[in-house]
Amino acid sequence: MKKDHKNKFKTPEGYFDSFHERLMDKINEEENEQGKSIIPKSDGFSVPEEYFDTFKVETKEVKVVQLKSYKKFYYSAAAIAAIFILIFGLTWKTDAPITFEDLVSAEIDAYFETTELDMSTYEIAEVVSLNSLEVNDVLDNALKDENILEYLDENVEDIEDLNLDYNYYE
Amino acid sequence: MIAEEALVNKLKEKESQAKAFEVLVNTYKERLYWHIRRIVLNHDDADDVLQNTFIKVYKNIGGFKGDSKLYSWMYRIATNESLTFLKQKSKKMGISDEELKMSLIENLQSDVYFEGDEIQLKLQKALATLPDKQKLVFTMKYFQEMKYEEISEVLETSVGALKASYHLAVKKIETYLKAD
Repeated sequence: MKKDHKNKFKTPEGYFDSFHERLMDKINEEENEQGKSIIPKSDGFSVPEEYFDTFKVETKEVKVVQLKSYKKFYYSAAAIAAIFILIFGLTWKTDAPITFEDLVSAEIDAYFETTELDMSTYEIAEVVSLNSLEVNDVLDNALKDENILEYLDENVEDIEDLNLDYNYYE
Repeated sequence: MIAEEALVNKLKEKESQAKAFEVLVNTYKERLYWHIRRIVLNHDDADDVLQNTFIKVYKNIGGFKGDSKLYSWMYRIATNESLTFLKQKSKKMGISDEELKMSLIENLQSDVYFEGDEIQLKLQKALATLPDKQKLVFTMKYFQEMKYEEISEVLETSVGALKASYHLAVKKIETYLKAD
């Protein structure tokens, strides 16, 4: 305390009295600043009244009973199926193992259509290298060079800008 | 907070299963509901998916190995169920995922359980333009106030990548909201 008396520095009158008030103002200001984000704090969804209080999971949906009554049927069906598989498996001599070529292209198409590959353009580019890909690989009807040139001639303003190597086409 | 390990053990045992499941449902129903609701947007759909999520949890608790936390495992199931639900819905309606997203937002305007104003509707439109992962990270962080570590366990993505996704999402949403 004695030290304070020796202190030569002064503060404006009432500085410490109003310090707390000013501090709180500053904090509020900063909080408002943060709250000023253009993204709303709530997304506006609500639930029916007492939804959570009355929420119950119907685990009874998972019925095991029904399966049991069919158990005998399943066993006999499995037995018959097994016999068929055995007969065909023994008589059907398949020499060649199944290869990628055996896949019907419709099945491959269906696979790509229904399966989420979740690959970005870059990831696809990593798997399929650009050098091994020809433009005709992705087209149903092959494009002839002269058609391409004709198209470019008609649609590109200054064909010279493309720096085409004409020797290649001659 | 409930002791997870003890609860999991009780869930695996026949005698204590029903009671433990009730505790599990009551502990997580709200959190999972809001997680699902923000993906499927509509209350009735969210209710369906929440039911399915808990049924899946109930059926598969025996296979829960405990390498991850119970809640992150359940969040994962909820996320997958919600995304699958949307995919099936778009297929049933014969429209693309994008068209479905737009129609879901259109429906929000007449949804009694959506109290949002114009800005909140616009926010949903902005969210619909984001890739699934970015949208998930954003809603989990911004609205569900989950920690990056928790989100990381649910989405099985590194914290660093999540922070980058979140940052990108915020930027995109802000740009969308500022534009007229």
